[in-house]
Amino acid sequence: MYQWDFTVVIQNSGLLWQGLLGTLSITGTALTFGLPLGLILALSRLSPRRWLAWPAGFVIEFFRTTPPLVQLFWFFFALPILIDIRMTPYLAAAITFSIQSSAFFAEVFRAGIVSVERGQWEAARAIGMQRPQAMRRIILPQAVKRMIPAFTERAIELMKTTTLVATVSYGDLLYEANELAQKTFRPIEVFTVTALIYFVFIFGVSLCVQAVERRLAVSGDSTVR
Amino acid sequence: MDYTWDFGSVFMYREALYTGLVGTLRIFVICLISGLSLGLAVGLARYSVRRALRWPAAAFIEFFRNTPVLVQIFWFYFAFPILAPFDIAPLTAAALGITLNSAAFSAEIFRGGIQSIDPGQWEAGRAIGMRHRDIMRRIVLPQAIRRMLPALTNRGIEIFKMTTLASAIAYAELLHQARLIASINYNPIEAYTVVALAFFAILYPIVRATYALERRMARGD
Repeated sequence: MYQWDFTVVIQNSGLLWQGLLGTLSITGTALTFGLPLGLILALSRLSPRRWLAWPAGFVIEFFRTTPPLVQLFWFFFALPILIDIRMTPYLAAAITFSIQSSAFFAEVFRAGIVSVERGQWEAARAIGMQRPQAMRRIILPQAVKRMIPAFTERAIELMKTTTLVATVSYGDLLYEANELAQKTFRPIEVFTVTALIYFVFIFGVSLCVQAVERRLAVSGDSTVR
Repeated sequence: MDYTWDFGSVFMYREALYTGLVGTLRIFVICLISGLSLGLAVGLARYSVRRALRWPAAAFIEFFRNTPVLVQIFWFYFAFPILAPFDIAPLTAAALGITLNSAAFSAEIFRGGIQSIDPGQWEAGRAIGMRHRDIMRRIVLPQAIRRMLPALTNRGIEIFKMTTLASAIAYAELLHQARLIASINYNPIEAYTVVALAFFAILYPIVRATYALERRMARGD
């Protein structure tokens, strides 16, 4: 029977904390850039101008249908050859996850915008608003409220996807755990604790999301897809 | 931007890429079949009237939905062999991680699909003397699966993309082979571009088909 021994994990918990900070920092960066980029992509895709709508559609579909790990490897290993920059694991991860999550956020934005009744557009036009004005002042405020649960779901998905950066040696939680497991020869304890940290963190966020969803459902703006 | 692209160096190693494609398809088929069937079992347990079934199923679903797949794969590859009395191949570890994760996600799809069926169908089944099991198998599931088809196809696409994670524990799938070619030839641009395009070429038609399916369902129901 295997003797479980968690003391090495507790002794080295600083390393795991540092890893969790790394995970949160890359998630935060990707969200900061991914959300606005996603909105731009969604607005371009919905635009009546084809030269805007088609490229946006292509970017969205391409980044949604290729595996994130392939994208990460491309940006990390291939991009520095094409353009002259010093690629770090953090930069590669930030670029990959910003663009990748923006493609998914774009679809959330689009679904939210499309879900607003046509009467709202017509009413805006009737009082003389232009399309951009109607979008900004009438449609988007209503749409964003409906999109909140889908957004948080995507953000959680994003946080889980950031574990991929461990494969290009960025010090996220999984990477630090792997280092620790190799140093202490205690992979069971280390990886079990790591899985639990992710679970507690992500499950906590999901519980908050469910609470928000219930609040929104009460106010009549249910958004659950 | 004065880089000269040379896809010939990738084409030279097409045998290696072919091996990778076979590896990707193998793990994909394994995970698709076992993930969806386990998902159905867990989904039914989650919907069961017995608490002894419902609670473990809910715990399973929440745990695997809320932890990253790569962590699960690492756990099965590095930690599990110490507990289990047998060796774990990269294929087994990766397939276990991806299967359990997709089972948890598809269980929620099955549950949602079953719950979306009108209670009248259950009552009608009971009225003509069918038992819970028979109603589920012969009346509710056939209707529910039709409704779940778009969501299940999306899951399948997710599983296909997830198979690349197996490369992290050196299973010879497409991405791993590309990495190999890139390190032999020093041509990461071409190697990774080819793999990215391969995934896009395989999955995009399926994605389009899903959109068409969703539109047809929206009209049919």
